[in-house]
Amino acid sequence: MRIAVLRPQVPFARGGAEIFTDELVAELRARGHEADLVSVPFKWYPGARVLTQAFLWRMLDLEESDGRPIDVVVATKFPSYVVRHREKRVWLVHQFRQAYELDGTELGQFGGSPEERALRRQVQELDRRALGEATRLFATSANVAGRLERSTGLVAEVLPHPPQALPYRSSPSQGFVLSASRLDRAKRIDLLLEAATREPALEVVIASDGPDRERLEEIARARRLDGRVRFEGRVDAEQLAQLYATCSSVYYAPVDEDFGMGPFEAFLSGKPVITTTDAGGPLDVVSDRETGLVVRPDAAEIGGAATWLREHEEEAAAFGMAGKALADEVTWDRAIERLFS
Amino acid sequence: MRVAYFSPMPPESSGIADYSALLLPALRERLDVHVVKRGTKRPPRGTDLAVYHIGNNPDGHGWILDAMRRQPGAVVLHDFVLHHLVAGVTIGRRDGHGYLDAMEREHGVVGRLLAHGVLDKRLPPLWEARPEEFPLAGEVLSLATGLVVHSRYVADRARAARFDGPIAHVPHPAWPDPGVEPAAIAGDPLIGAFGNVNQSKRVPQLLEAFARVRAEHPGARLLLVGATSPGFDLERRLQRLGLGGDGIVREGYVDERRLWELMAACHVHVSLRSPTMGETSGTAIRALTLGKPLVVSDVGWFAELPDGVALRVAVGDDEVSDLAAALRLLAERPDARASMGAAARALATTEHDLRRVADLQASAFERIAGGGAVADDVVRDVSEAAGEVGIAPGSPEASEIARRLAEVDLGG
Repeated sequence: MRIAVLRPQVPFARGGAEIFTDELVAELRARGHEADLVSVPFKWYPGARVLTQAFLWRMLDLEESDGRPIDVVVATKFPSYVVRHREKRVWLVHQFRQAYELDGTELGQFGGSPEERALRRQVQELDRRALGEATRLFATSANVAGRLERSTGLVAEVLPHPPQALPYRSSPSQGFVLSASRLDRAKRIDLLLEAATREPALEVVIASDGPDRERLEEIARARRLDGRVRFEGRVDAEQLAQLYATCSSVYYAPVDEDFGMGPFEAFLSGKPVITTTDAGGPLDVVSDRETGLVVRPDAAEIGGAATWLREHEEEAAAFGMAGKALADEVTWDRAIERLFS
Repeated sequence: MRVAYFSPMPPESSGIADYSALLLPALRERLDVHVVKRGTKRPPRGTDLAVYHIGNNPDGHGWILDAMRRQPGAVVLHDFVLHHLVAGVTIGRRDGHGYLDAMEREHGVVGRLLAHGVLDKRLPPLWEARPEEFPLAGEVLSLATGLVVHSRYVADRARAARFDGPIAHVPHPAWPDPGVEPAAIAGDPLIGAFGNVNQSKRVPQLLEAFARVRAEHPGARLLLVGATSPGFDLERRLQRLGLGGDGIVREGYVDERRLWELMAACHVHVSLRSPTMGETSGTAIRALTLGKPLVVSDVGWFAELPDGVALRVAVGDDEVSDLAAALRLLAERPDARASMGAAARALATTEHDLRRVADLQASAFERIAGGGAVADDVVRDVSEAAGEVGIAPGSPEASEIARRLAEVDLGG
C-alpha cells in the first residue's frame, strides 16, 4: 500500500510524537509498504492562528501523489487529522489539549473573553468534525481514548505503540534516577528536582532538552543540586540506552499525559517507573508495586519512592521485569496489523 | 464569560421556570451567570452575552421580549410557535396595530386581513384556532444573535424561516430521580397522561383508544393528571365512552412531589400533542428519568425520541386505532415495557444528562458570543494569505478555499 503518515511539526522541537511517526514510517517500509511522512509546520498562537494553521491541512490534496493514488493516510495528532482523504485513519496521539483538560490551568492558552472562549469551542468543533470523518479511529492509550469520548462522543480503539528503537539492555543499578522526558512544564521535572532537594542522597540524570531547560537549570542551581543533578541534554541512542540500563529507576510523571513512551523504554531496560496518581496514560502500564511505584504528585513522596527503589534492588528488578513482560507484548507487528485490519 | 440570564424562575409555575431551576446550578459551574429579576429592561453592565428564554406564554415571557428588543442576544427557543406571545404583547396591551403589523410582516396582506378579522371578532383568535399556521417567530428570530433549541424540528423550522445565525441543538436536561414512593393507585396496567386535559393533548383520541383497550383488558386504568381546560367537557366524553366507572383516575393540578409519585405509579406514559408549538415535554423528560415506556404523537420533538424508548402514533385518521394498538401492545407485553423503560433511563443518563447538557449550553453561549469574531479572524487570515499568492476573490481557487472552510465550520 501507499501510505502517508501525517505529522504536524513544531520547528526545532522533537519529542515522543516525532519519534513515533518516524518509526511508524520505518516499520511500514520494512513491511513492504511505500510509506512516507507528510509534515506541516504548526504554530498555535496568537489568537485564531491555531485554526488557520490547522486549516492548512484541509487544503492539502493527498488523494494522490505524482499521478498515483495514496491508499491510506494515517493522521496522528492535532491538527493533522483535519486533512481530507477517502481512507483517513487516525491513530490519535493527542488533541489540542489546551482546548480541553488544560483549559483554565497554568498550562492553558485561552483566556476568559468571549472571543477566546469561542476560539476554544471552535477548536473542539473542528475536532468533532475532522475526527468524525475518520474511517478508523485509534488512540494510543485509554487516557487519550477517554478524553476523546468525553469531549466529542467519538469512540476510539486503544492501540498502544512500541517505544523508540534503542539497543535496550539491563545492567546493575548505579543508583541514579533517570528522566528522559522532553523538558517542558507539563512533564513536571521540577517535582523531581524538589525531591532531590529533600533527599540528599538522591542522584538524578536528565537526558533530554526542551523549552523548560533554562528554568529547570536555574532551580537546580538555586537548590544547590550541582553534582547530584546532571543535565545531559539530548543524547544519542547508545548513550540513552546505557542510561536506561544503569539507572535505579525512571521518573515519568507528566500531568495527565496522553501515552508516553517513557515507561515502555524503562521496562525494556528492566527498570521500574516512578509515576504519579494524576499522570494519566502511564497508569495504563505502571501499577503500584507491580511495575513501579505510583505516588501522589508531591516532592516528598517522589523522593521517598526513588530512595526506596534504590535501596531495594531486588524489588526494583522484579518490578522492572514485570514491566518488561508488558512491553514485550506491544510490537510493531501487532500494531500495524490492527491499524490496517 | 458573564451571562445575563432572562428567564421565568420559580415560584412562577411554568415548565421553563422548572427548566432553568434545574439547569442553572450546573451552568454556573461553567459560566458567570447573573439571573436578572423579572421585569428587568436591560442586561447589567459588564455583560458579555444576554440570554433570553423565549416561550409562547405572554405572562412568562412578555417582559423578556421587551428586554430583547432593547438589546439583542442569544435566545433559548422553547417553542417555535410564538403567536400567543405576540398577541399578548400587542392585543394584550391594547396595541391592535402592533398585532396587525406583526401579522402583515410575516404573512403579508392576507395576514393583515386575518388579523383584522380577529380584532373585529369576526374570526376566532388565531393563537387558539390555527397558531401553527401563523407562528409569528419572525421578530424573535430577527433579534436573536444565536439560537439554542431542544430539537432538530425547531432548528429546521428556524432555518426554513431564514434564520442564518448559529443554532445549537441542546437537549432538555433530565431531572435526577427523586426516589419517591409510587402513589398507591392500582391498574393492570396503569396508563398515565400528564398535563392540561384538552384537545391539543389529544385527550379525546386517548379516551377513545383507552376505551377500546379496556374492553379487552378490564384491569387497565387511565390516570389523567392536570387541570381541565375551559370548554373541554371531560365528564360528558367519559360517559359517552362508558368510562365513568373506575377505569379513570382523575387528579387536577398537583405539586412537584405528588407529580413524581403519580408518574412513578404508572406502567406506561402517554404524551400526545397536536398541533405542536415546537415544545419539549417536561413530563416526558421526567418519564425518561423514571424509566417509563412512552407513547407519543409523531410530531415535533416527540417524533425525535428513539424507537426503543417511545411508540410513535401519527396524527390523523388512524390515530385512535394506532394509539389503541400501541397501548394494547404495552398492556400485553411487560417485557416490552421493561426494555423500553431501560432504554428510557439510559437516554436520560446520556443524551439528557444534566452535566452534558450544561456543557453543550455553555459551549453554545460561548460560540454565540465570540464565534463571529473568531470566524472573521480566520477568514481574514486565510483571505490575506490567498490574496498574497494571487488568488482573486470569486476565482475557482477562492471558491475551493471557501468550501473547505465551510466543511470544518470555519466560515467561508
